[in-house]
Amino acid sequence: VNRRKSLIGVACLWGVGILAAGTRTHAADPDTRQLTDAAGRLVTIPARVTRVADPWHANNSTVLMLGGADKIVATTAQAQNQPWFRRLYPRIKQVPAAFNTAGEVNIEALIGARPDVILMAYDGTLPRWAEAVSAYHVPIVLMPNRSLAELKITVRMTGEVLGESESRVAAEYLRYFDDNIRRVTSVTDKLEARERPKVLHTASAGVLTVDGRQSVIDDWITIAGGINAAEVVGVGRPVTMEQVAAWNPDVIIVGTAPNQQNRQGILDDPRWRQIKAVKDGRVFVNPSGVYLWDRHGAEAALQVLWAAKTLHPAKFADLDLGRETRNFYEKYFHYALSDDELNSILHAAPP
Amino acid sequence: MRRSVVVAMIVAPLVLLYASLFVGRFTVAPAQVARILWSNVYPIAHDWPASVETIVMQIRLPRAVLAMFVGAGLAASGSAYQGMFRNPLVSPDILGVTAASAFGAAVALLLSRNALELQVVAFTFGLAGVFFTYLLARVYRATPVLMLVLSGVIVAAFFSALLSVAKYVADPESKLPAITYWLLGSLNAASTGSLAMALPPIIAGSAGLMFLRWQLNVLAMGDDEARSLGVRTEALKAGVIVCTTLITAASVSVCGIVGWVGLVIPHLGRMLVGPDHRALLPMSFCIGATYLLFIDDVARTATVGEIPLGILTALIGAPFFAYLLRKTRGTWQ
Repeated sequence: VNRRKSLIGVACLWGVGILAAGTRTHAADPDTRQLTDAAGRLVTIPARVTRVADPWHANNSTVLMLGGADKIVATTAQAQNQPWFRRLYPRIKQVPAAFNTAGEVNIEALIGARPDVILMAYDGTLPRWAEAVSAYHVPIVLMPNRSLAELKITVRMTGEVLGESESRVAAEYLRYFDDNIRRVTSVTDKLEARERPKVLHTASAGVLTVDGRQSVIDDWITIAGGINAAEVVGVGRPVTMEQVAAWNPDVIIVGTAPNQQNRQGILDDPRWRQIKAVKDGRVFVNPSGVYLWDRHGAEAALQVLWAAKTLHPAKFADLDLGRETRNFYEKYFHYALSDDELNSILHAAPP
Repeated sequence: MRRSVVVAMIVAPLVLLYASLFVGRFTVAPAQVARILWSNVYPIAHDWPASVETIVMQIRLPRAVLAMFVGAGLAASGSAYQGMFRNPLVSPDILGVTAASAFGAAVALLLSRNALELQVVAFTFGLAGVFFTYLLARVYRATPVLMLVLSGVIVAAFFSALLSVAKYVADPESKLPAITYWLLGSLNAASTGSLAMALPPIIAGSAGLMFLRWQLNVLAMGDDEARSLGVRTEALKAGVIVCTTLITAASVSVCGIVGWVGLVIPHLGRMLVGPDHRALLPMSFCIGATYLLFIDDVARTATVGEIPLGILTALIGAPFFAYLLRKTRGTWQ
């Protein structure tokens, strides 16, 4: 009888213990921590994050660069389909793509992946699926994405969410990024206005769209000592052929796959023939690797170097882009690029 | 028809065509435009930069000519269909040609094909779409109007769903915006190459409609009446469908979805010359050319970016139609 009583007593204590544990407030919980996201919300996330969902295509490459890719439990179809991402990190093929390319979510796939936290780009509004996800108490950390400066904040925040070792890599990467920017601007800041080429960055070819002001693209063009020829605001804006002729860019950078084919399309089109960039043979293909270098991926740190050397080859003659790229992939993606592979990335070709 | 109206409807598009060559984001003097045009007929000294010639001859001229023919073709198609279906709400895309072409274009964009390849694929899909509709509508060797309309709805719905699939799998950084903008309509793809492909079907289709316009009057009375008057209604309907499909598929494949032209312009034409197709078709043809050329001049000139054509045709077309409707209280029907 005594033994039975004591058993009941233990069971009661156990139950009380569970209840007590369950009612512990989050703020005081050593198992959680808080951070302020881009929308200014105080978000509570687990102290140790081991499972992240990343519906932001470009940010997946940042997570990989920070060494946290093993924590990705849900990704996007687009990140998953980047040929170089698959080459450098084959596990991405097995990760469920809970987010389609249009940014819509399969809630069941997302919740089934049991993420500790969801990382997402913030463009001024919550993603449409945020309301549906809120019922499952998975925190969403919103990160800024409108400029190169904000991209750096995003790298720091991504590291902070992922954990200590990733945070250390993020700090190192940001130093490297800043060094690259300084290395470039130390030369380009001294340029006169007339030495700055007008650069047109195309976003798609089937329908002519270009990348305009107030964007990451505009930022690296400026840093690299160019002027964005596209006097429109935002990325992927449709423009007329005639407007392109009126802008008459000195340099054209083809920023969409299949880049080589799209570049050839421009060179073959009689309407482009009198554009200065075409006449001068300054139509280039933007490199593309784990992600498109020109956008919000980790390789934006290399993009500033590439753009500077492309716009001002004489002034950056000592800049060995091949070596920089090789070192970067070795250090951050732990992958030794062969000569062919290096060449493919620099010319936006798949492996 | 009054002679002044006839002269105006022929002169207006030509005057606007010339004006379109010196209107734009890039300033070219009217006199210079004239000399550039003349230099292509008769060798004179080139005292202008090659870039200006490219803008006038390679960019503006093909685009303006394309705008005229697309507008004219869509308006004539709309007139013919409104008569054939005996319904003023009908537009040229009623048999599913637009939806099918749009899907073809989306596939081409997904596969990163260039503008000319896209045009071929979209045109082929447009023809195929209408062919399906026609097969579906054919019962007992006849194609009743109601069957045609319903089959068109079915085919359009099917291709719209396929289009959604294409958008769903498209890359959001490059492909999806391209598809979206394409669907909104634009004449920016106009080049001498695209003209060479789009104009023959549009001209052939328009010529066919002009040839058939006498019999359309009879068809507009209804199949039974037309048959009793000795018209081979099935052959006539098939002929009209072939002509309008050539026009619409060629138009959609080169400039995306441009709504309202085929719906509104026939009404304007009927206001001016009445419901007699012998006068209505040429009238719609000329008004359509002027209208779309004007709209496209706005689209490429008003802002630094390009305003999608589909937005403007509806944004300018709808209030204009509303004004006409109130003014005439629909009495031109």
